[in-house]
Amino acid sequence: MKDRSQDAGERRLVEAAQKDPGRFGELYENNFERVYAYIARRVGNREEAQDLTAEVFHQALANLARYEWRGLPFAAWLLRIASNAIADSWKSKAREQGNPSSDELLSHHIDMEDVEQRAKLFRLVTTLPTDQRRVIEMRFAQEKSIREIATELGRTGGAVKQLQFRGLETLRAQLVASSRKKPAAKSASKSGGTNG
Amino acid sequence: MANQSLSEQLDKIVDALFARPNAASSRREPNVGASLRPLAKIAAQLRDLPGADFKARLKLDLERRTSMASKPVTAAEVRQTAVPYICVKDAAAAIDFYKNVFGATEVMRLVGPDKKIGHAEIRIGNSVMYLSDEFPDHGALSPQTLGGSPVRMSLSVDDVDAVAARAVAAGAKEVRPIEDQFYGERSGQFADPFGYVWNISTVKEELSGAEMQKRMDDIMKQGGFPTAPPAVKPIPEGFHTLTQYLAVKGAATLIDFFKEAFGAEEAFRVPRPGTPLIMHAQLRIGDSILELADATEEFGARAVANILHVDDVAAVYQRALKAGGTSLSAPHEQPYGDREAGVKDPAGNQWYLTEIRKTGHRTEDTRTILPHLSLVGAAEFVEFTKRAFGAEVAFMHDAPEGKVLHARIRIGDSILAVGEASDERAALPAALHMYVANVDAVYAAAVREGAKVLRPLRDEPYGDRAASLQDAFGNLWFPSTHVKDVQF
Repeated sequence: MKDRSQDAGERRLVEAAQKDPGRFGELYENNFERVYAYIARRVGNREEAQDLTAEVFHQALANLARYEWRGLPFAAWLLRIASNAIADSWKSKAREQGNPSSDELLSHHIDMEDVEQRAKLFRLVTTLPTDQRRVIEMRFAQEKSIREIATELGRTGGAVKQLQFRGLETLRAQLVASSRKKPAAKSASKSGGTNG
Repeated sequence: MANQSLSEQLDKIVDALFARPNAASSRREPNVGASLRPLAKIAAQLRDLPGADFKARLKLDLERRTSMASKPVTAAEVRQTAVPYICVKDAAAAIDFYKNVFGATEVMRLVGPDKKIGHAEIRIGNSVMYLSDEFPDHGALSPQTLGGSPVRMSLSVDDVDAVAARAVAAGAKEVRPIEDQFYGERSGQFADPFGYVWNISTVKEELSGAEMQKRMDDIMKQGGFPTAPPAVKPIPEGFHTLTQYLAVKGAATLIDFFKEAFGAEEAFRVPRPGTPLIMHAQLRIGDSILELADATEEFGARAVANILHVDDVAAVYQRALKAGGTSLSAPHEQPYGDREAGVKDPAGNQWYLTEIRKTGHRTEDTRTILPHLSLVGAAEFVEFTKRAFGAEVAFMHDAPEGKVLHARIRIGDSILAVGEASDERAALPAALHMYVANVDAVYAAAVREGAKVLRPLRDEPYGDRAASLQDAFGNLWFPSTHVKDVQF
């Protein structure tokens, strides 16, 4: 029941955005982490991940009118755009470098469960207590050293490491708690039919 | 302690994640002991954590596009119609502060060749704000330079106490403590390190305007709000950052000379008790203030030099000679277009009378009195003022052997003319009364940069917090902040 009402809510959002692109922001907020998680996992380079994520949302916005509701989550559509964008980028890179692209790299497999888990983790970071959140964001998203963070926050390196430890602990506890709440079967049912 | 060693171990794992150049392998879980394995796995996944700035920037990009794509959506719905645009000294530091304290995200920044931020956009909550570095040449001045800002920023947050505590920890100063207000908010005011005051609030009760009015009327009936003491201006009315302070023998005679020759107006004079001498006097000449006193043991008589901007060099020159001055140079045209003359006042101070003929001078350049410093080691002096007072070079004319022939440097809202002393031009250091918003910081910086303390910083009975310093070039500095209005 819960899943169905979520679907209905998402469907209304998509239809609203199709009529009025100004509403696209909500779809963006709901799906940003998923798209980014999927792309970052595959390209392994922050700059490229950002470029491709931007490209996916710009494409999605431009093609929103053509999107048809088929009962799949909107994220599945976005991830297919992402998958194609990654493949295109690899193809053009391979052409530039004169290397034939490997089939493995170009595979279109989308592991929805993995994407959901990573997206959830990224969203959980924003709910951390402020001190922990700042340390986690600076350390991982901004790739700063403990020393840089300590200087910026006016704390000792030891305190920053403690906050990093506590932040990761909090995230682990919340991931465990949320996976207990939702039976695995539900997220598995969502991943069906999104390949290709 | 066990926890500490765990956090150390974990950090080594995180370091290893970033150190591995091969992107694909760095996403694999590192080899670790069982207790840290779940955390190491999360850390490996967080290697891909998107930046909050990026997310906000992309959203704004998309919003900009949708505002163009769809007609029914007005600009007001997509882009904020009215945006505060603040000027700060060190915009990069300000952006960091707003990020850390208010959870701001950076949307964009434009950086000039001088590394200064010409324009930046940040988002706090659902609001966009613009900011830039200070550009005095373009009239963009920060509260730190102006001695405050009349603009209050208002920030709505979920937990005012937490945000305020973070602000104070990051260097903000409490202006008004957090209290429950009659209009349904819990709020307080905090001055950020860049001179802006933020009213930070959390709504506790949703009240209509009429309900607020009623509560206010009730308070008024009961005698009104307790009134706060009137705010004190850290830089008193009429003062600029720098004012030349003359210590002479015969101050009273000199005041008469300034009145007759330069049209000075006397604001006030304070006699030295029990003597005919003047302890302190303040004159106004044109748009500038000149301060003077009879010399004392502590503040001995010394000659200084000033450029005096006048409308008619010949007339002022004649009046000065008639009033008891002596000629340094008769009126003459300079190759750069100005008409100049030089006189020495009865106390020996030099005045370079200048009639500006060319246009395009900045306002600070044309203030009536512009202190002129002839120094041994002018180039080093300029570097000292940069470090100690945040001076900026407005103009620099180098002599061939690396000496400064003539420079103009800006400190706060004031300009100093500086040149290397020579055989023709004897060294004439200045004595400068310096009004700043935060004398403690200025004093600390000057002392750190080697200024000698003649009189340490203290609260003076006349309402200023002030000190006397001497730099290595012979100049006297009197950094001051006005902290209390005192009736004489």
